[in-house]
Amino acid sequence: MKSKIFATLLVLALLTALSFGAIKVALCAPFTGLGSILGDYIKKGAKLAVEEINSTGGVLGEQIELTVYDTAANPSTAMNVVRRALFSDKVVAVFGPNMSSAVLGVHQLAQQAKTPMLVGATSPSFRFTKVHNPFLFRLRADDDVKVSQLVKYAVDVLGIKKPGVIYGSTDYCLAALDVAKREFGARGIEIVDAEQIKEGEKDATGQLLKLKNAGFDGLIGLTHEPEAAVVVKQLRQLEIDVPIIGFSAWGVPAFTDLAGDAAIGVYSVQGFNPNDSELAVRSFVAHYKSKWGEEPSDPAQAYYDGIYLLAKAIEIANSTDGEKLAEVLSNQLEMYGVQGMLKCDEHHNFTSICYISQFDGESWTIIDKLH
Amino acid sequence: METKDILQNLVSGIAIGSTYGLIGLGVVFLWQSIERINFANISSAMLSAYLFYTFYSEIGMGFFISFVLSVGIVALYGLGLRYLIHEPITKRGGGRLEFVVATLMICVLWLNVIIVFYGGLPKPFPPVFGKATDFVRFAGVSLPVVYFYIFLVVAILMAFLHFLLRKTLVGKSLRATAQNKEVAQLMGVNVNLTTSLAFMLSTTVVGIAGILLAPIYFVSLELGGGSIGIKGFSAAVMAGLIDPYGAVVGGILLGIIENFSTLFISSTYRDVISFLILVAVLIFKPKGIFVWSLHRD
Repeated sequence: MKSKIFATLLVLALLTALSFGAIKVALCAPFTGLGSILGDYIKKGAKLAVEEINSTGGVLGEQIELTVYDTAANPSTAMNVVRRALFSDKVVAVFGPNMSSAVLGVHQLAQQAKTPMLVGATSPSFRFTKVHNPFLFRLRADDDVKVSQLVKYAVDVLGIKKPGVIYGSTDYCLAALDVAKREFGARGIEIVDAEQIKEGEKDATGQLLKLKNAGFDGLIGLTHEPEAAVVVKQLRQLEIDVPIIGFSAWGVPAFTDLAGDAAIGVYSVQGFNPNDSELAVRSFVAHYKSKWGEEPSDPAQAYYDGIYLLAKAIEIANSTDGEKLAEVLSNQLEMYGVQGMLKCDEHHNFTSICYISQFDGESWTIIDKLH
Repeated sequence: METKDILQNLVSGIAIGSTYGLIGLGVVFLWQSIERINFANISSAMLSAYLFYTFYSEIGMGFFISFVLSVGIVALYGLGLRYLIHEPITKRGGGRLEFVVATLMICVLWLNVIIVFYGGLPKPFPPVFGKATDFVRFAGVSLPVVYFYIFLVVAILMAFLHFLLRKTLVGKSLRATAQNKEVAQLMGVNVNLTTSLAFMLSTTVVGIAGILLAPIYFVSLELGGGSIGIKGFSAAVMAGLIDPYGAVVGGILLGIIENFSTLFISSTYRDVISFLILVAVLIFKPKGIFVWSLHRD
């Protein structure tokens, strides 16, 4: 009996020693709720990077220990889990949340805990120049960059001179509309008509007929996925033949699955495209497929890059101290990842990479890769 | 603006409005049968759409089996609503208000159950009613093929409900139970059976609607908590909650108002305008505006 108690205590002591040695990192993403499919990609991207790093000896001789928390795509749940990760579990860094509204609600907790928070959310509203949080970093191109590139492509390549816009009613869509107005205006082009389709609406006949009567020669889509599907289906139904170029929600499987054949020919600005022939992308896609048996989708690559960024920052700082890590991430770190050269800019964005792609019925063909 | 554009807008308004009417039929039926408003009415549409998606797309069963299984389960769910919600509330002295509140909670419960098991992203409905790009075109106007199935089912259900409620003994028993349970029982009506039938038929009607609406609304939470539930209910209110034909006409009117508000006024204020008109209807004609075929008897 005594030997059994002794053995149990020994195992417990060993486990405690091992966990003290690990670098604890939190991943806060939605696994239930509206954005649950994204949580799956995020977790798989981050776990892949952690396993790769740990299999080569970890960081500073220690293993990375990734703890996953479910934000349920809900800002208040995100607040609870981030608080727990920072103040109870005392992690070295937090990855996520991935929803902009959740980031806006929790980023100050990271500042309070002096712990880096690396997120894949894309709203321009929490750029460093706006929130001044030295501990908050973004791992994907923000929406301002994406809409600017979309407008540039629409005008310079597609030759759209009378753009018509269809937009949703959420902050994601309205912020994109503001950028589109600014960018078209800067090129001396006036949007001939901007029509709203609210989330949940399933008929856009009135909106599309108005755009047609306004004489639009190209459609700029700034909506979420279901409304994007409604719009392209009805454009085909009404036989309105204009180039269609959509925002990031128009370039993901959630849109093409719903739109079916109607999505063929649609252009979109994407944050990631697994068909990129770049070596780093090919390697990431191959490893991801071999590990998880499926192709990665945005934002898996962002969190994969993020884990490597953190590992490199710990190496450079030779420490897991939050303030030192934030300093390294802000000013000293520069590395090549799946998303190209990663370096923190004045907005605390590590990348501005995006792709202009066109859907061919099966996959998205890359037309241009922009930095 | 060309005439064919106006015609197209009208036809599209009728089409989307008929989907509201279809949901309104379920509301009318339950009110006619047991004088209760089930705020979880629309949940039956969402449940049948997800069940059909699971059986047909995920498990690979055939269309007919998937359809029968989905609608059958939703019918049993109606029975569950009776025994797990309606009866306990009634036994403890609760009335219509308590039932409304309970069903409102059930509606939210189902949305969360679906989120947990299927996630929040809409799923594509299999092309059993035609592909996304299959349209019927006539006289410069076009409509997706699926709407013709909807029109057909709306017509059948309208006629069926009218016939059932007015021309059959079962229908008379249902209405008698709704009006006075005790007297109906004294007159020999099997109240237990008719109440069960009312619950099962109301969820079945909406369940069938769910499978038909999924190509338009996708297999999504929208079918269980989106604006279609409110608009379907509005259509039923325009019919005074008693007239199946009125519910469909009310839904169609709402669809037309929405589309013409967008075309001639503003897409931003589309819902504001539609619901302002509905509020006005309720204020000035609280008993409904499309109550022709049936009378409160």
